[in-house]
Amino acid sequence: MAVQTRPLPTGRPGPPRPRRRPGRSPLPYLFVAPFFLLFAVFGAYPLLQTLWVSLHDWDRLAGQGEWVGLANFRRLLDDADFLTALFNTLSIFLLSTVPQLLAALAVAWLLDRHLRARTVWRALVLVPQYVSVVAVALVFSQLFGRDYGVVNGALQGLGLIDAPVDWTADTWSSHLAISFMVMWRWTGYNALIYLAAMQAVPRELYESAAIDGASRLLTFRKVTLPAIRPTLLFTVVISTIGGLQLFAEPFLFDQQGNAEGGAEHQFQTLTLMLYKYGFINNDAGYASAVSWVLFLVIAVVAAVNLVLARRPRRP
Amino acid sequence: MAVSAPPTRTRPRPPRAPAGPFRAVPRRVRRLDAAGPLAHLLLAAVTAASVFPLYWSFVVASHDDNSVLAGTTPSLVPGGHLIENIQRVFELSAFWQALGNSFLVAGTTAVSNVLLSSLAGFAFAKLRFRGRDFLLGCVVVTLMVPTQLGVIPLYILVTDLGMYGKLSALIVPALVSAVGVFWMRQAVEENIPDELVEAARVDGAGLLRTYWHVVVPGVRTTATVLGLFTFMFAWNDYFWPLIALPPENGTVQIALNQLAAGYYTDYTLMLAGVVVSALPVLVAFTVLARRIVSGVMAGAVKG
Amino acid sequence: MGRTRARRTLGALAAATSLVALSACGGGEAEADGTITLTVATFSDFGYKPLIEEYRRTHPNVVIKERVSQFDQHHNQLSTQIASGGGAADVVAIEEGYLPKFRAVKDKFTNLADHGANDRRGEYLDWKWQQATLGTSDFVMGYGTDVGSLAVCYRKDLFARAGLPTDRAAVSALWPTWDAYFATGEKFRAKVKDKAWFDSSGNIFTAMMNQTEFGFFDAGDRYIGDSNPKVKEFFTATARATAAGQSANLQPFSQQWNTGIKLGRMATMTCPAWMTGLIKTAAGESAAGTWDIAAVPGGGGNWGGSFLTVPKQGKHVKEAAELADFLTSAAAQKKIFTGPVGALPSLVGVLDDPEVEGAAQDWFSQAPTGEIFASSAKSLKPNYRGTKDQQARIPFGNALQLVEQGKADPAAAWDKALAEAAKNLR
Repeated sequence: MAVQTRPLPTGRPGPPRPRRRPGRSPLPYLFVAPFFLLFAVFGAYPLLQTLWVSLHDWDRLAGQGEWVGLANFRRLLDDADFLTALFNTLSIFLLSTVPQLLAALAVAWLLDRHLRARTVWRALVLVPQYVSVVAVALVFSQLFGRDYGVVNGALQGLGLIDAPVDWTADTWSSHLAISFMVMWRWTGYNALIYLAAMQAVPRELYESAAIDGASRLLTFRKVTLPAIRPTLLFTVVISTIGGLQLFAEPFLFDQQGNAEGGAEHQFQTLTLMLYKYGFINNDAGYASAVSWVLFLVIAVVAAVNLVLARRPRRP
Repeated sequence: MAVSAPPTRTRPRPPRAPAGPFRAVPRRVRRLDAAGPLAHLLLAAVTAASVFPLYWSFVVASHDDNSVLAGTTPSLVPGGHLIENIQRVFELSAFWQALGNSFLVAGTTAVSNVLLSSLAGFAFAKLRFRGRDFLLGCVVVTLMVPTQLGVIPLYILVTDLGMYGKLSALIVPALVSAVGVFWMRQAVEENIPDELVEAARVDGAGLLRTYWHVVVPGVRTTATVLGLFTFMFAWNDYFWPLIALPPENGTVQIALNQLAAGYYTDYTLMLAGVVVSALPVLVAFTVLARRIVSGVMAGAVKG
Repeated sequence: MGRTRARRTLGALAAATSLVALSACGGGEAEADGTITLTVATFSDFGYKPLIEEYRRTHPNVVIKERVSQFDQHHNQLSTQIASGGGAADVVAIEEGYLPKFRAVKDKFTNLADHGANDRRGEYLDWKWQQATLGTSDFVMGYGTDVGSLAVCYRKDLFARAGLPTDRAAVSALWPTWDAYFATGEKFRAKVKDKAWFDSSGNIFTAMMNQTEFGFFDAGDRYIGDSNPKVKEFFTATARATAAGQSANLQPFSQQWNTGIKLGRMATMTCPAWMTGLIKTAAGESAAGTWDIAAVPGGGGNWGGSFLTVPKQGKHVKEAAELADFLTSAAAQKKIFTGPVGALPSLVGVLDDPEVEGAAQDWFSQAPTGEIFASSAKSLKPNYRGTKDQQARIPFGNALQLVEQGKADPAAAWDKALAEAAKNLR
């Protein structure tokens, strides 16, 4: 993870850093100890326990059964539902994250200027975060309702569709509706993070761009974007982790509450599948295998993100 | 405030106040594009979309059930039953207690995340100790660990520790997060010049003193944003409280969920609950937003 | 100055919140004065509030807390609590559909036979008692609460539009069998094209399956969904009627379903006793007198009804068993039936009570609900549920949804259901 310890792109070049000699004081260890302690107990231990469970035949109610080795993982690879869930997870992740971050950049760019009632705009953009996810799912499944939904009403009014769309019934429509929910909830949040970073961009950079006669858009591309790259990376990683673990939105989108993700599992994400096997079918062994595969998927996608984001060197 | 006064600069450095979304940037610090009518229009569209579902919740919550269900498309005009529905929310669920619980959980985790994350972030950004890079690598890896996936073992652990049904079951595991540590490390790295830390050391300040008098003020705005987001994460968390708390002593999300406990879901009631649960946060953050703006302005003028 | 103040506020806030948090964590049930606290967990309102009040008067040392959750969450939570050995309420309701799941871990529940449950054996409907004892002779898992005997609710106005009889005896005579029911649906649809015959194929199929003695599992708990001719017969009949447009395609208990009832998009609904309250609430007061209740096709059947169990992990098992006994007693069940909840009693004596037998519902055109539901409750045979019954049901429900969405014909849906069920049960 050497990547992370390199000076960040906005870091100032300067004299060699006068740092304290290593190993002198136990205090630095004490400073980082709370995190590692809590993580060990409430993060790592459950995860390792999950790994242990995944190697057994394990009923949630009856408890530990016999050791089955990697059988649960083999079964997973043979399970067509798993591939569907993997596809759904990645599809919803991409459909929601990419437009979300782009929209957030645009919103931040709009907010990063002289505005009347600046605070009000910023507070309003954050409103989706105040609304609980239960409410979001509830409201959006109403908006995307087949029979009396506002979205269908609007689309029909505009003459874009002939018959109402049954949003939960098809892969594309359900993915679109769920992604929309996710986008709505997180765009403002990311916009504010970007805004914070944009406000830290040194003034001289803009001034020299203005002297060169660069347009507003060009300045944004050549000055702002490179300057906030660490923040971009941060949001990409965070959205990846969140986006791949999507649970509440697809779970509540289906009013049956059985984590099937539709009649053909057309919007069953990996977390929903995990919930179905772990909490409905009580097959804890299989569900734990899903957990671990999901963990690996997240690690791989996050690593790809890091590599992609780091590849072009600083100008 | 002698310690926190910046030392004489060895090189010209752009005056950079710590970054934060609610910061009002004084004109003299940086030239900003003035926003034209188009920008205002676009922003208006974005905020309208942001606010619409909450507005719609409010509309449904202000009707009695039948009138909302009767139409072929829901009405966008508020009705006259809001107060009545809100009263029912408080009658039918332990909403006051839930509000108190949520504030306690969200407030505690927000404050502790800010303090513990900036402490660890300070150590990672400015101190040298054996194994630092390795440990930082660990933080980044744990960032990818989807902790809620181990929810059953976690539940068993919490039960064994005697925390089931108590607010500590929500608070203790969330006291500090990898995201916070990672983010605060970045903030300390970017906002606190090494010279400042060194100056504090020369002045004879211990590490804790340096942390409290140099680091905390320096990253205050980023810390506020972290606190704000942690607060909202805790406030909105749904999956874990549902498992770790019994419904009669739950958070706001659990209380909301309770409103849908019957076979028949009364949407006017549920959405009245949504409005009630969103209002305190909305008010708190609107007030807080002004505070942050003024606080930073004062800091910027002084610095 | 602003800085210092802000920081001081932050520090004070941190100290204050952590203090409160600590004191909140330190608490626990204070039971030094000899009072004990019992928690009763149910899904939806069981109508226990007045009964708890009454119990408190006779048992001043007992504090009772109610815990009401959503149906699936309630049962999933119980699973988690059983699995981890803590957190369950003292008295927990389990619905009949979920009961088989907990059969495998019955040793985690108090055998109520040890607390005198067998004395009440004669009071209960025989099939309800058999469900509660899990087919054993010495183990009583729970006290039965209510039963959900089946009927069909129908819209009189729509029947009149289609030229069908509207009188409940005549309507019952239209459909002695499900085939006759679907055939009547064809006739109805020929006349009334803008309305559906029933609300959801899933609800029809569930009702049919609940009328068989053995559905998806045989007495040895072996899966027979793929070989039991009844399953295929019921599925195919439902799927064909659905493909012919008889279903309103409304997901049961969803908002669309509620609105569908309000707007009267279907002429009939399968109607266990507890469904009547739902229909009434969804349709609203203004629809009073448009609905009536007739007999269910294919003889009687049961859908729903619960049991009060006492998990062993509780601290006051004896007192909890006593409370469960009280809440299901004849007097209690009668009070619940005549109260706003109106759940149908599971005790023979109460069902025979003239007040219960003579009950009628004004909203449903004065339908004699006591007579309709009580008499069919007594004539029922038990309907065996396998341990993994729900896991078998879900794929069949999904397959019917595919027919509703026009994505599969009945034959393809059947194949899909079998394949998915086999996978879900491994």
